[in-house]
Amino acid sequence: MNRYLANKKAVALFVAPALILFIVFVFVPIIQVFYYSFFEWDGVNQATFLGIDNYTKLFKSTVFSVANLNGLKFGLLITIYQIFFATIFALAVSDKRVPFRKFFRTAYFIPVVLSVTIVCQLWVSIFDADHGLLNTLMKRLGSSWQQNWLNGRYSAIWAVAFVNAWQWMGYQFALIVAGMKSISTDYYEAAELDGCTAVQTHWYMTLPLLKDTYNFCLLVSVTGGIKAFTEIQIMTRGGPGQATNTLAYIMYKQAFITHKYGYGLSAASILVLECLVVILVLNFLFRDRDEALLRREARRAGKGAKA
Amino acid sequence: MKKLLALILAAVMLLAVMAPALAEEKVTLKIYAQYADDDTKVPYDYAVEKLAEAYPNVELELIVQAQDDGATLLSLAAAKNLPDIFQTGAGIMPTLRASNQMMVLNDVAEKTGFADKVFESAKDFLYADDGNIYAFPYAGNEYVLWFINKAIFADAGLEVPTTYDELLNCIEVFKSKDIVPLALFGQEGWITAAMYDTIATRFNAGGIKALDRGEAKITDEAYVEAAKALYDLTKAGLFQASVTSTNYDQASELFLSGKAAMFLNGQWYIEDATKALGDDVCWIAYPAPTAEVFEQSKNAFSGSGSVAGYAVNPDSPNAELAAEVAAFISEKYCEAKITLRNNPLVAVNTGLTNDTLPPMMQDLVAAIPEMTSTTAFTWGLTNTTFTNAIGTWTQALVSGEYTVDEFVEEIAAEME
Repeated sequence: MNRYLANKKAVALFVAPALILFIVFVFVPIIQVFYYSFFEWDGVNQATFLGIDNYTKLFKSTVFSVANLNGLKFGLLITIYQIFFATIFALAVSDKRVPFRKFFRTAYFIPVVLSVTIVCQLWVSIFDADHGLLNTLMKRLGSSWQQNWLNGRYSAIWAVAFVNAWQWMGYQFALIVAGMKSISTDYYEAAELDGCTAVQTHWYMTLPLLKDTYNFCLLVSVTGGIKAFTEIQIMTRGGPGQATNTLAYIMYKQAFITHKYGYGLSAASILVLECLVVILVLNFLFRDRDEALLRREARRAGKGAKA
Repeated sequence: MKKLLALILAAVMLLAVMAPALAEEKVTLKIYAQYADDDTKVPYDYAVEKLAEAYPNVELELIVQAQDDGATLLSLAAAKNLPDIFQTGAGIMPTLRASNQMMVLNDVAEKTGFADKVFESAKDFLYADDGNIYAFPYAGNEYVLWFINKAIFADAGLEVPTTYDELLNCIEVFKSKDIVPLALFGQEGWITAAMYDTIATRFNAGGIKALDRGEAKITDEAYVEAAKALYDLTKAGLFQASVTSTNYDQASELFLSGKAAMFLNGQWYIEDATKALGDDVCWIAYPAPTAEVFEQSKNAFSGSGSVAGYAVNPDSPNAELAAEVAAFISEKYCEAKITLRNNPLVAVNTGLTNDTLPPMMQDLVAAIPEMTSTTAFTWGLTNTTFTNAIGTWTQALVSGEYTVDEFVEEIAAEME
């Protein structure tokens, strides 16, 4: 293996196809997003350089702060909901004493395989203020608590985020279950011999061993919130007013409805930067401290030897 | 003898080889057109049928138009890959014209006689601002109509409202009977803008068109008053509670099933409304703040036509033929709309008439000569920033969640 890795030409040859595809289809478009965000451009004709005007306009607009706040709310709700329930359900189906484990394992994943459009339409019907299931249920139960979920200026974003959280919880669940399966049973046997309760075993052993899995789950959830679009487009189209706008939705509206691609791409650039910051922060928080410490010590030792 | 046989055989083989070339070559033209409901499918199918008779060598390959505000068309234009013929509206025409991807159709319009057949009232939709023809229109003037279910009004003992006070009374009565006063598919920005426009025309006949053209400002008293009126009606319960998440099908169903007393849509809804509700449905003049204003403004209508229709890609290998076909199809659309869709409001004079128009359409046709002004649908507006702003903020207003001040300030800020 070492001999193979030492052959740089072979390494380059095998890495090149994936690298070229990545550069052409991911890296270059991202660079173009930043480049065209400094232009007035309709997507078809010659672009005109504007400097930072698109950014100035974006930062000044009220919809920008609304969109960022919505991204935060969206990310917060889906992260808490998905990771909390996915963890609980994953722990439950991993316990051999729980009946119908296989059934539940499949059932929790079913929403993931459903079409987003169908799921959104289903929840639009459930949330309907006039004849929706939720309000009707409350009425039948004798409660006067009626909510205008999707029409409410402050409630709409939570309602839409909940739909995303509900649908994609199964995905996080599958990741956590897969992570748990990779943990050796030896640890659990040792914990049992030491007299650990189930809660202690999971708290002190399972969850720390799933650190990398949780890092990925958090990345998916938080960036999913920041770049939320699909459910918004289907359920509220950014409304009422601008109540459910996100950066991704601003980008779409400006580029594809008002045909101001340059302005839309300035929103897209901020979106990319925000996602990048989240990735860096999460990777920093979830870094392997012991490994980093060992690496630092090794570096120090190396310097000492040179001196 | 052998020589003769060899000659005959050679002649047969030559004919077999030449036969396809001798026969007239089939041309397939790609066409990007609306094909979503009866109002778009029926005219298209009719035009294709007639095309097969008039141009037997031409075949159309339909690409169904996406309801995406022209995004697909612009993507195709960016890739220099527009279809031979495409339906286009006023919003994206400037972009396509600037990139030289719309054929100038002046000569074809003259050669085919299309320009002469266009009604005088629709001439504005034929010629662009530079005096050239870029698309063959088929739709004539179209109007926003305030439909009502007469039976529901009669059951509730209510008269058709002419003022906002009367309308408020109707709202109160309908709400007490668990009937939605006016079903609005507020998920779509164009209809909330049209709703505002019907009110704005009572204060300034120019409505949203005047704002789009820069002839008026949203901060003008007329538009602020119109916003206040819409806000008050919304707060009183004019619309269903989930108005901004209601789509067309849901709102229409509320009206057609008798769960809503009123409905707002374009005049193209006449056919469907008549089929479902028969004589119970009619359209009314938009209410006004006072009886006096109502009398003055009852002939001011919201909506109109715009420069739109079938355009041609100048880079098409069959551009000239495509242009002829585009003119032909537009004309046939008009025929189908008159005869099969009971809609005589078309751009081209086909010489056809329809004596069995539904009563609502007869009323509209009778009202047209009396009309004092018209405005525009959002797709006929030319300023895309304003179009987006008016759609977004009228939706905000009908949700009842935003104030009139926010409505005015946000639109004013976007227009700056």
